[in-house]
Amino acid sequence: MIMHYLRWPILFVACFILQTSFVPSLSVLGVKPDLLMIVLFFFSIRYGVMAGVFVGFFMGLAQDLYTPAILGQNALTKTIIGACIGLFNEKVMRTDPFVKTIILFVMFIVHDSVFMLVLLMKNTNHFFVMVPDLFVKTIPRALYSAAIAALFYAWEFLPKPSGRR
Amino acid sequence: MHWIIRFFTIYRNITSFCALVFVSLWMMSSTPVKQEKIARILSFSIFYPFQFYISQTARIKNIFSENRKLKEDNAAQAAAIAMLKEQAQEGARLEGLLSLRGNYTYDLQVARVVAREPSSVSRSVIISVGKENGVAAYMPVITSLGAVGKVVLALPHMALVQLLNDPSNRTSVLAQRSREVGILETENGEEFFIRYRTHADVAPGDTIVTSGLGGVYLKGLTVGAVTRVVTSRDPLFKKVFVVMSVDFNRLEDVFVIRVKSQWTSFRSELDSLERRQ
Repeated sequence: MIMHYLRWPILFVACFILQTSFVPSLSVLGVKPDLLMIVLFFFSIRYGVMAGVFVGFFMGLAQDLYTPAILGQNALTKTIIGACIGLFNEKVMRTDPFVKTIILFVMFIVHDSVFMLVLLMKNTNHFFVMVPDLFVKTIPRALYSAAIAALFYAWEFLPKPSGRR
Repeated sequence: MHWIIRFFTIYRNITSFCALVFVSLWMMSSTPVKQEKIARILSFSIFYPFQFYISQTARIKNIFSENRKLKEDNAAQAAAIAMLKEQAQEGARLEGLLSLRGNYTYDLQVARVVAREPSSVSRSVIISVGKENGVAAYMPVITSLGAVGKVVLALPHMALVQLLNDPSNRTSVLAQRSREVGILETENGEEFFIRYRTHADVAPGDTIVTSGLGGVYLKGLTVGAVTRVVTSRDPLFKKVFVVMSVDFNRLEDVFVIRVKSQWTSFRSELDSLERRQ
């Protein structure tokens, strides 16, 4: 019973630690997957807007504490993303795993766009530096992360010895 | 009162979303100094101890092969050290002859990078040495390729290093050939440039080293090389783009130069004034 409630917090902490210590070694041509976004996606799509908003906020705040460039920047971005993903809640609408992977990909684009927008609000001189980054960095990162999420869905559909799907 | 509770119950999704967005915006609008202090204290006490131990566990896997390789390297380097010692003695002799006074004996402390920022571009790293090893704030951090950054916070067994690719970092540098001094800047952590006066003698291929004027970095640490010079619309300045000698995404082992900052007393004075405000 305790593990049922602790499952997600443990997963968040584990992902955060892996993101900062292990994931850099998985980088391909400087592109790294974003485990935190993947976990936020799985959580929000399962539990809806309310849960997504709060988890997104605290996850972003944790990132902000780690990267104190602009405190609140990640919190704001992840809150918005948590809410957006929560709209596709599994309890409200049934979506295909393929569609879910596409949603994750789109959410990455939205995430980085909001992130850059916040930076631009602070310094408008960065506009021409940041906009190309959206194509050069965000799309490969989104593809890499969506591929990892797709692997999770593929694993769900593999035949299990116990008979459960 | 009743209708407020009812409103929050019905529109709980929207109200919680708006509240958290408001809190985020409020945090973003507070002063950078305050933001940084709170964030660093909290993150050091929450995240880094976990990362340190996980990073150490992951390294055990490679320790045997690394040990064998180090023994081989050790044998090869023993011969090289003997030769370098000879050259150092010769250098000291020549230095004495020329009556030059230079501080070339760096007190280096080897350190391992144990954690990085979770963002796509690392702007700071955590290293495995701290106050117990004689490391203190504002000590320069280097690799064999050149300057890496500076220690901004030292704990007993760990230290936070602000890398040169942090956009908030400004480093005083000079062109090795022409001795033109400038400030190294970056906007995105990947493209580095120096604003020089239009008539400054800087050309592609020139080596850029630290000037030693900032009070943190010692003079002459390699920073990078000039790739291109762009004359902007500004008639007074031109932009000199620099490719860094160090790849900040592949940092593993670094050295902390245990040297007291020239401006330590000045900085502590500034910090105390800041605290009073």
